[in-house]
Amino acid sequence: MDIQCVSVLPRVCEVLAASGSSLPDDTSLEKLLDWFTATTNTGVSLLESAPCLLDFISNVAFSSTSGPGILSFTLKLTGLIAASEDGFKALEECSVLKLIFDPHHWKEAGLWEDPCLRIGWIQGLRKMLQHSKALRLFVQADLIEPLLQLQTDSSLFVSSAANQLLAHVLLLYQSLSSAGCNGANKRDLEHSGVSEQTIISCSGIITNVSEYLKKSLVLKESSHPPQSQQILKLLTLLLVQLRPPLQEQLLLTVIDSLEELVTKRWSLPLMDVILAANSSLQDDCVSKQQIVRLLSIMLYMKKPADVIQVAAAFLRSRQHDPTHAAYAAGVLLLPLDIATGISLLKTNSTGVDLRILMTEQLKSKSCISMICVCLTNIPQITVMAPDCLPCPQRLIVAAVLTFLRLCRGDSSSSSTACVEVSRFVTGSSKVQKCAMEALSELSKSPEAEALLADVFKLLTEYLNSPDSDPTVLQKSYKALINWIGVCRDFSSITDQLREGLMQAVRKRACDIRWEARDSTVEFLGHLAEVCPIGEEREPLKTLLGSCSFTIPLLKEALQDPESYVRASSIATLAQTLTFSWQQGAALTQEQEEIVTQLQEILSQDSEGFARRAVVKFFTAWFSSCPSPTSCSLLMQSVPSVLSQGVADLDWEVKLHTLELAELLLDKTFPERLPLHPYAVISNQPHTCHAGENESDLLCSLNSLVDQGVVPALLCGLVDCDRPVALKACQLLIKLRDTVSSLLVNAADPRVSCMLPGQSWVQEMRGNKDAHTQGAPHVGSESRDEAAEETPCTDGDAVCVSVCEVLRTLDLDKKLSVLMQSSDHIYNSPLSLLQDILTASTAASNPNSDPGQEVIVDCY
Amino acid sequence: MPEIKVTPLGAGQDVGRSCILVSIGGKNIMLDCGMHMGYNDDRRFPDFSYITQNGRLTDFLDCVIISHFHLDHCGALPYMSEMVGYDGPIYMTHPTKAICPILLEDFRKITVDKKGETNFFTSQMIKDCMKKVIPLNLHQTVQVDDELEIKAYYAGHVLGAAMVHIKVGSESVVYTGDYNMTPDRHLGAAWIDKCRPDILISESTYATTIRDSKRCRERDFLKKVHESIERGGKVLIPVFALGRAQELCILLETFWERMNLKAPIYFSTGLTEKANHYYKLFITWTNQKIRKTFVQRNMFEFKHIKAFDRSYADNPGPMVVFATPGMLHAGQSLQIFKKWAGNEKNMVNPFPEQRKLDVKMQVEYMSFSAHADAKGIMQLIRMAEPRNMLLVHGEAAKMEFLKGKIEQEFNCYMPANGETTSVITNPSVPVDMSLNLLKREMALGGPLPDPKKPRAMHGTLIMKENSLKLVSSEQALKELGLNEHQLRFTCRVQLQDPHSDSDTLHRIYTHLKSLLKDYTIQHLPDGTVMVESIVIKVSSSAEDANSKVLLLSWSYQDEDLGSYLSSLLKKGLPT
Repeated sequence: MDIQCVSVLPRVCEVLAASGSSLPDDTSLEKLLDWFTATTNTGVSLLESAPCLLDFISNVAFSSTSGPGILSFTLKLTGLIAASEDGFKALEECSVLKLIFDPHHWKEAGLWEDPCLRIGWIQGLRKMLQHSKALRLFVQADLIEPLLQLQTDSSLFVSSAANQLLAHVLLLYQSLSSAGCNGANKRDLEHSGVSEQTIISCSGIITNVSEYLKKSLVLKESSHPPQSQQILKLLTLLLVQLRPPLQEQLLLTVIDSLEELVTKRWSLPLMDVILAANSSLQDDCVSKQQIVRLLSIMLYMKKPADVIQVAAAFLRSRQHDPTHAAYAAGVLLLPLDIATGISLLKTNSTGVDLRILMTEQLKSKSCISMICVCLTNIPQITVMAPDCLPCPQRLIVAAVLTFLRLCRGDSSSSSTACVEVSRFVTGSSKVQKCAMEALSELSKSPEAEALLADVFKLLTEYLNSPDSDPTVLQKSYKALINWIGVCRDFSSITDQLREGLMQAVRKRACDIRWEARDSTVEFLGHLAEVCPIGEEREPLKTLLGSCSFTIPLLKEALQDPESYVRASSIATLAQTLTFSWQQGAALTQEQEEIVTQLQEILSQDSEGFARRAVVKFFTAWFSSCPSPTSCSLLMQSVPSVLSQGVADLDWEVKLHTLELAELLLDKTFPERLPLHPYAVISNQPHTCHAGENESDLLCSLNSLVDQGVVPALLCGLVDCDRPVALKACQLLIKLRDTVSSLLVNAADPRVSCMLPGQSWVQEMRGNKDAHTQGAPHVGSESRDEAAEETPCTDGDAVCVSVCEVLRTLDLDKKLSVLMQSSDHIYNSPLSLLQDILTASTAASNPNSDPGQEVIVDCY
Repeated sequence: MPEIKVTPLGAGQDVGRSCILVSIGGKNIMLDCGMHMGYNDDRRFPDFSYITQNGRLTDFLDCVIISHFHLDHCGALPYMSEMVGYDGPIYMTHPTKAICPILLEDFRKITVDKKGETNFFTSQMIKDCMKKVIPLNLHQTVQVDDELEIKAYYAGHVLGAAMVHIKVGSESVVYTGDYNMTPDRHLGAAWIDKCRPDILISESTYATTIRDSKRCRERDFLKKVHESIERGGKVLIPVFALGRAQELCILLETFWERMNLKAPIYFSTGLTEKANHYYKLFITWTNQKIRKTFVQRNMFEFKHIKAFDRSYADNPGPMVVFATPGMLHAGQSLQIFKKWAGNEKNMVNPFPEQRKLDVKMQVEYMSFSAHADAKGIMQLIRMAEPRNMLLVHGEAAKMEFLKGKIEQEFNCYMPANGETTSVITNPSVPVDMSLNLLKREMALGGPLPDPKKPRAMHGTLIMKENSLKLVSSEQALKELGLNEHQLRFTCRVQLQDPHSDSDTLHRIYTHLKSLLKDYTIQHLPDGTVMVESIVIKVSSSAEDANSKVLLLSWSYQDEDLGSYLSSLLKKGLPT
């Protein structure tokens, strides 16, 4: 614990204990607790380093004026301290432990009503219950009763935390008693502090919990559904976390109630209980058979909406039960079978009754939610073993395609079910989105290739339709990409289909909604990405006639009024073009035009997204080029991109610019391994270039200056955005270490660069001042001479010697400052303690400005 | 009984972040999805695992509605939609949709700047989230699905802020978001229909304040800025690019004009244009004065306020600079602050944090946030006439005070986070009634229809295409193209009567005739006795001629008389 914090802490404790119910900020106590927890986790004893905490706890606990907020904090803190046996002992000695965790005490004080106090009680106990002494206290004080009452608390937060605590108590008991059983050696047990008596006295908890569960699950007319749902959630949690024999012991007490619930009041949480029991119980358990039977009852229910939920939950839980899985898949496919008229299921595989009832149900509004459940769970069906599948996947794809047609109001079937369903699903983007997602997933099916043309046709129809919602369009594009991605043979795509797609894409590229335009442009980018480069992007050519179709569209999109679309089109241009541009072919007019346009965007676009994309375009281009230096257009553009990028107002443009600079740096000094950003930086100048010719180094350094890399790094170093300055600093250190042999001697004036603006000069001056005051500095004996030199200025620009700058700047110190988060002072424990003190002074000062109480408008 | 449930995951008795779940008529709606600015870890986002355990939010929620662009109302949206996974519709107004990503981007930057966090949403996620947003127009009813509809109302507060009326069937809820009932320099006052919702969920930030002090605060602000300028000092006003900054700009611009001041006022470069762009684009969302004068003069094109360049900070002489970000933790505002902090002539306003800097400049904290005060909240209640009130987005103690005031009139709730308030609704379902039926009822001599005096009416209720109509049964048959069916009850009564069948029938006739004097009783030639619609026939048992079986049959209308006769005849005939 920091010495300053230790000295402030007693005062803070005093202030907090006296604060009553007026607390400055609800987060400060949480953060204080975070700090205490972190300190404890490092192995420091809180009581040893801050004995004042003990007084604080007593003061708050015994005070009648403490508010629920501060009490809640105190309960949690008490638990944290009592988690260690020493802390527990100390708290017990000052007889605060029993009192503070006694709910009656708080009920009498009228504070138990506040959920914040109950949460504190639960979390405090949860922290404390780490050892047998704590468990014994829990049992002796009969805390299980209030804890059971909290299981169905009116506050969602309280009941959920109480569920977790109860599971924790049982787990602790389980681990202690299993130590008792396995340890055999009584002495070992006593040594670990677990007496047999403890175990026996604790076994009462199990009885309590069993009885409570049994009682709560009995079906009563008056029982409040949300409460029984909470109990079921608790039961699931217990079944998942506990081990045998405790697990089965609990289950046996409730199994009859569960059976009654299964037959009378079905719910999804109940299904979770059965599934949890089924997967966690071992096969030789007495109740296993009964659970399997209950599972069957639920799966074979006749109420369509419920059975679909059950089937979905069953498949999601991935149980190893092929028979039930096949049936569940059948149930989930039934609505599609009925709605589309495509026979996915063998006759009667799900029973005639269910089919009749389902057909009826699909004629009502609820068909939307049922079909959505069915569609969203198709991925679970496709991963099933082929012999469990009720039908070939090809048929499922066909059914989804037919259904998607139905959703557009295009029904080829005249069956009454089709007509009825189409009344509800036509135009429903909710259903369309689910179906599109299902179709995307189905691209993984083994017979995908054979169906490509059908999928293609349908998706083109969706893309063409002006009624399609932008979110549906986005999903249509995604499905198309997934299907194209898995196919190698595009012979089934006729010219007519291709023309249809191109027409749709063209139309959507000028859609009135920016969301649709953006998805279209993104689609073109994804298309370029899924098409393997090695095969000369065959699919891209086959489908969209290669670049002659896409480039004009994208160039058009560069002028889009929405910046998101402009940015996407630039990114897509990078994905589409940089590959073809790397071949070293002669410059085309189009290339020059695009580069000019991109540079204009970088200098003029008012939105950051587009400018970021431009810099990334150049980065992609540079990194995809086997020999960037031989690409004249690229090398001509780089200096202006760097100079504009680093002077941008958007921090990410600047950061991406530095990434481009890094690429150039790596290209110039290729043999140097890239430095890990968090690697320890040696104070010794790098020597791997010892044998290197100094003039080569100079030449490389000069070229970096000419390309604008060094000025960009130096500008970035003094940037007001920390991530930018940090990146620049890391790169400058890399550069300094690479050219270290040049820096050993006196300043080398042969390499110099111009920097815009005065701020940089100030920064350097500031650095020099620091040096003269004795700050550590990377080896330079002629420091003072260098400090004498003043950079020559030309108007606003300054000319500096690169070697001198690299040598003089204390980059390592700068790095350590920049590595710290910009809010490290503000977020330090000391600052937190001071904040609490300041706020309490302000609150206790009646003359403070009333306007000060409102600090809520910051965003 | 139908009920509406409201569970705050945030903003329940606090002002940390707004995220409120409403269940109404079987629909689940999330109102706002805010981020808590006080935390740097997962605690800043609402814990969505409370909503559904399996994390499938799309299955559970029918829609998300965002009231305005402040991050404590929309900051967790990309996290929810792109990281937790929500694919359903998100609604917000056009300006909110346009401005929201800027603030989210800005906050992403702050997060990266502070912590270098990686587990935070990316720009792509913000964009993908925004693509799911369906923009709302004011006063336009939007049908989320067959049953759920929403309508947005003007809320003041910031550009694009909206209150929303959510309706399922005849049940409805109004959520105010943050609002302001008094117009200011650039925005108008909140307004809503008399929509009589079952619950009005209102913010209560200033629940205990009656703010007539706004003018004083503005005067104070101008005075302090003026004094600093007169001294030759520099004034730094850290602000967020969009929000209350425009209000302060107009305030200073007007003051400069009036006082004929010459000191330059600057606004961070780029942002002025961006802000102006949005205010021009959404001019209809500003107040009346700005809209009216827009053609002659755009209030957001300032004469005295110019774009700021980094180098201007070193210029000698007085100046005022609006710089971002408002929290003074990084970027331009921090850089300027560092430069100017050493001079006692300068002033910064506000100054929310401490740093290791020798600060000699004056620091003034002033808040210009626009929320409804206690008077405003009561004013909104009068406008909307809700049946119940539910307070959120305020401190518990202050809420309690306002609750006390409101409860004199009707129920007021203030659930804590995680607590569910259930309000039983008694939905009154409007039904059209046919004129014929009404006339017939009138003809029966009842009082004239009066909405204040409920009374029973008989007729057939037809539910067709979302409309309900009460008509006479004849008309219903005609409209629905149905045939009328008669429902008859029959019953057999065994009787010992040693006479011929016809004698027995006659004996029954005379017996009934003597008992039921006021009824029409006929002995028909086809061998039946009729009492009103009740038909009585006699037949002998095949085995025993003395044992007679009486067959009684009556229509539904004569059910009482029919059962009476059957029990009467069971007792036998007089000898």
